[in-house]
Amino acid sequence: MHITAASSLAALPMASGEEKLPLIPHIPELIFGFVMLGILYAVVAKKVVPNLERAYEERRAAIEGGMEQAEQAQTEAREALEKYTAQLAEARAEANEIRETAREQGAQIVTEMRAQAQAEATRITEAAKRQVEAERQQAVVQLRTEVGTLSTALASKIVGESLEDEVRQKGIVDRFLTELESGDVRPEKVTTTGQDS
Amino acid sequence: MSMAAALGGLATLSTASGDSFETPTPAIFYLPIIGEGDWAITEQMFWGGVSVLLLSLVMVRLSAKAAVVPTKGQWMMEGFYNFARNGIARDMIGSKDFLRFVPLLFTLFALILLNNLFGILPPVMNPTTGRIGFPIAFTVVVYVVYHWVGISRKGLGGYLAGLVPPGLPGWIKGPIWVLEFITFFITRPLTLALRLFGNMFAGHMLIVLFVSAGAYFLTQGIVFQLLSVPTFIMAAAMVLFEGLVQFLQAYVFTLLAASYIAGAVADDH
Amino acid sequence: MFGNLSLVGYGLATIGPAIAVGLIFAAYISGVARQPEARPLLQPIAILGFALAEALAIFGLVLYFVPIR
Repeated sequence: MHITAASSLAALPMASGEEKLPLIPHIPELIFGFVMLGILYAVVAKKVVPNLERAYEERRAAIEGGMEQAEQAQTEAREALEKYTAQLAEARAEANEIRETAREQGAQIVTEMRAQAQAEATRITEAAKRQVEAERQQAVVQLRTEVGTLSTALASKIVGESLEDEVRQKGIVDRFLTELESGDVRPEKVTTTGQDS
Repeated sequence: MSMAAALGGLATLSTASGDSFETPTPAIFYLPIIGEGDWAITEQMFWGGVSVLLLSLVMVRLSAKAAVVPTKGQWMMEGFYNFARNGIARDMIGSKDFLRFVPLLFTLFALILLNNLFGILPPVMNPTTGRIGFPIAFTVVVYVVYHWVGISRKGLGGYLAGLVPPGLPGWIKGPIWVLEFITFFITRPLTLALRLFGNMFAGHMLIVLFVSAGAYFLTQGIVFQLLSVPTFIMAAAMVLFEGLVQFLQAYVFTLLAASYIAGAVADDH
Repeated sequence: MFGNLSLVGYGLATIGPAIAVGLIFAAYISGVARQPEARPLLQPIAILGFALAEALAIFGLVLYFVPIR
């Protein structure tokens, strides 16, 4: 049969289902299309997608968990390093301080010791001086007595006259010594000490 | 010539009895197996059911023991799923709320792809989606979903007002709104369904045309029998090309569905 | 063999979408060639444009089947 498309199509909708216009849906197929999509959607939404998404989530968690762990370890390491650095700096500062203190204390000790030594030296010198003075005084006193005795003896020998009388003897010696001290005997000493006594 | 007879049987329409060649008509798509008339169960419905069964079993099986470290089956399943999930849903809708629509889009993609590919898979050799009832059913679902999403998000008034892109001068808003309304409510579903149907229908017609012509040539004289060789080669090339188109149409259908949903989900036009 | 004028009309109607589809993919290819990293961005847009242009051809197919007395 040879029929043009237009004429056959014009007659189509009237014909039985066999020769329907292809743009008119076959009702059972339309309904079955919904059924197909509905069933497959239920299967996919209930089983397939949740399963796969769970796997994705687990995978993401695994990867991110690893990353987080690594990050955490890194942070911890950085913190520890910072802590150690801080401690080191602190220790260094402390050591510096201690050294400084020690130096100061050492200087102080040295100063103190020096002062003490000075004082000691001064004291010793003083004591020595005093002793020398005392000894000199003693020597002077002793000498005075001895010179008196000696000169008396000498004078008695020379004068030939016993100067037994204590009072006279003492008077003569004293007078002599006074003269001696006043510089009448040694004229070169008169200038400085002559007027003192 | 028994071979010619066998090949003649291949082409559904080639009667090969007379001397004249009858071109395949749209009637080749009507294949009732149970019953007659308006409520007949057709072959496409049978294969559609088979596709649902097959997809359900395979996908559930491959994803049932989804683990962090995938098996080979799970890996293939994930590649297929990621194509719809990341390549279509996430790219079009955006990573904020695409996950809600992934099951629908993935279902659409898998179902349409397998039913398209039935057009070149040997035991079937007839795309289920070449019957307009199926594309209309899928499109109605998408149509309802994207309008429902848009209305539930912005309210009916806000959704209708949001059809006009912002930043237009006042006087042009009216005509643009009419155009956008027609696009949203008429053109979009119409083209979505008809594109899928048209491609599958035309592709199958082409293959049938070439195969039946080749089979018809074999029943004629020696010149025509020689001519049947390039005809069959052309038919094979058309089968390969149809494979490409069938994949592309499944992709385009899902992509457009995703982009319509994205337009409804987006805060501004 | 017989045909009708609708078929010629449909053949003519596909010229426009064919050119449109060609232009869209030409632009897509040159865009990707110029900037390969823009491919994931351009691909859905190109497919979308292709689908929209193809819709016109689909309208032609529909009109071919619509019976006109």
